[in-house]
Amino acid sequence: MFKKILFATSATQASDHAARVAFNIAKNYQSSLNIFHVMGVPTRGYSQVVIDVKTKEEVAVDEDYTAWVTEEVRTYYEKHLDGSFEHTIDVAVGFPAREILRQAKTIKPDLILIGGSTGDEDESVYKKNSAGSTLQKVAKAAKCPVLVVNRPAASFWGGLSNIVFGTDFSKTSDKAFDFAMKVAKALDCEVNVFHAIDITPLHTGKILTQDEIEQQIRESLRKIRARYEPRLKELKAYSMDVAEGIPYMEIVKYARDNMADLIIMAHHSRKVVSDDTRLGGNVEQVIVRAGCPVISINK
Amino acid sequence: MPEGKFCNKKPIDTAEGINELLSDTSGNNYYQEMKELDIDSDLLWKTIQNTCKSRTKTWLEICAHCGMCAESCFLYQVNGRDPKQVPAYKIQSTLGEIIKRKGKVDNQFMRDTMETAWSKCTCCNRCGTYCPHGIDTGIMFSYLRGLLYQQGFVPWELKIGAGMHRVYRAQMDVTDEDFVDTFEWMVEEYEDDYPGLTVPVDVENADIMYTVNAREVKHYPEDLAEAAILFHMAGENWTVPSKGWEQTSLAMFAGDWAACKMQVESVYEAMERLKPARMIGTECGHAHRATVIEGPYWAGRKNGQPPAESIHYVEWLAEALNTGKLKIDPSKRIKELVTLQDSCNYIRNHGLKKATRDIIKHIVEPGYFVEMSPNKEHNYCCGGGGGFNGIGLFRKQRNIALLTKRDQILATGAKLVLAPCHNCWDAIRDLEEEYEIGIRWSFLKPIVIKMLVIPEHLKPEE
Repeated sequence: MFKKILFATSATQASDHAARVAFNIAKNYQSSLNIFHVMGVPTRGYSQVVIDVKTKEEVAVDEDYTAWVTEEVRTYYEKHLDGSFEHTIDVAVGFPAREILRQAKTIKPDLILIGGSTGDEDESVYKKNSAGSTLQKVAKAAKCPVLVVNRPAASFWGGLSNIVFGTDFSKTSDKAFDFAMKVAKALDCEVNVFHAIDITPLHTGKILTQDEIEQQIRESLRKIRARYEPRLKELKAYSMDVAEGIPYMEIVKYARDNMADLIIMAHHSRKVVSDDTRLGGNVEQVIVRAGCPVISINK
Repeated sequence: MPEGKFCNKKPIDTAEGINELLSDTSGNNYYQEMKELDIDSDLLWKTIQNTCKSRTKTWLEICAHCGMCAESCFLYQVNGRDPKQVPAYKIQSTLGEIIKRKGKVDNQFMRDTMETAWSKCTCCNRCGTYCPHGIDTGIMFSYLRGLLYQQGFVPWELKIGAGMHRVYRAQMDVTDEDFVDTFEWMVEEYEDDYPGLTVPVDVENADIMYTVNAREVKHYPEDLAEAAILFHMAGENWTVPSKGWEQTSLAMFAGDWAACKMQVESVYEAMERLKPARMIGTECGHAHRATVIEGPYWAGRKNGQPPAESIHYVEWLAEALNTGKLKIDPSKRIKELVTLQDSCNYIRNHGLKKATRDIIKHIVEPGYFVEMSPNKEHNYCCGGGGGFNGIGLFRKQRNIALLTKRDQILATGAKLVLAPCHNCWDAIRDLEEEYEIGIRWSFLKPIVIKMLVIPEHLKPEE
């Protein structure tokens, strides 16, 4: 299922919860893990100098430095690299989102795994040169599923058995569903299909009556059944639900109430909206808030 | 020691040579060896006799030492009005001396001259605008850099940069395959949002041949996608050459005359091969100067023009907006105070001040654009021009040089700076890093894309 995983990490505490999930998946599903670290962001025009993400100092990158950083990353994860799964370590220089995508283009992983917002820790170096967070850019452009672990809570995780698939009935959502089915079959999971109706006046332009809401719920349930149920029957267990509210909140709540260990959603915001994930689209909101890992599917 | 292992008079012509020099981190050994480097005075004098033409000789001769150039130089202003920073002094005490002494100068003199040539002049040519005789010190410094390069007295990064052009015909180790591959990758990444988006490679007789800066390929390839998107939206018939795609020239900053010629000829060959109606370069100032303004002379073109009409990106963008090829949604125009950095290399050196201001009229809500003072052909260098940005040895001096631009920006009250030039963009980024004045900076492409009216037939299917 996840033969090759690209784990993009800052190799600091900010990525620790993502690391926990990465190593768990690699161990449980015999994946080969590529640990990828962007060590510095270019500065000083055309020169070879970068700003080191950890020390925030200007450093001249040469072979020794690259070897040293690679060793640092290895040491940081030493206790996890116990030989129970294959791993490689690569380091690179550049703007993180672009370099993660470049690495993905080269090694063609089945899954990219990244931590969520790195917060203040390395913000000044990683985020300075570009609008839009690393996460948003990678999720938007990646050709494979992107698994994000944002909150520490999302990383205390025993494996995959219960997937929440959030749909908005778009074409990209259909692709996300294909992926959810693939995972569920391969790993014998339950799939809970969920759709949230956005009743915020900002979205609807008016305050909906309860009859209107309930009408929409019925329609959405019919849609889910028609669109997904024939294939869901291939699984041992599944469920279908619709709720009204603020979509990302409803998904997070639904996943929590159902004790989901993975949320799968489509990412199809056309533009990188802002450099603040809190203002991003639904999937970004879910990523930021969820108590379990979230997989975003783009194409 | 006449010739060092790292520091010597030999240009770098191989990838191995580049790697070897790069392995001398920060050029520590390189600069140590430079202290021992011999000067070939005969060669130096012979070169001067062959290349120092009447204009330079006259300029050096007729300078009245009136000092009008002093205040025109931002480096003089920002360095406590040190008399040693007066442009006339700077050139007379370096190039003037070398000529006076017929090339018989010593190592210490050459190292001091190197410091003056790369850390006390950005070749912004502002002094030439104020000299009553029209003496342009910037041009003479470009010439002096050539003499220094020949003798091996050139900052480490620029020796490498010039070597990159010799080996890769690009300012960084980006091969022709890397270029095409990266451009195609970027277009693929954006084609869902912009159906029909392609990168036409090596198409003959296109209306536009587009050339870039290798750093876009290496570090921020989104810029390539953005260029493709804007050409696509404007319905242009455009192409990129698979060879001769690099418009910039660190060789020009380095004073490596032979590499300047090699580099620009690679672009001209592409023009001759593909026969485009026009060549358009990316948002870069020195690239335009190298390929469009000075390049024809390096390549020995008698008419002083590139093989195809060549315009700067801002000229194309202004034209596309003025003629309605690209339409802006007025509700999406910039509605905050915004200022514009005039790039010396195409504003002062090529008079393109109107193009950028035309663009501003389209993309900024009336009342929100604030000019820097002074501006247009009187604007100051960003502080990092002429190679200054990338030289580690002169980083301290470069950071002082940024103060002029910092204060100019602060005086506008704007928090957003449009910088349609790679070098200016870098310097402004660095000045924020250094002085933290809370500004943002941008090229034009991403800003324009956000506010475009997308024609019905180019919209993505929902």
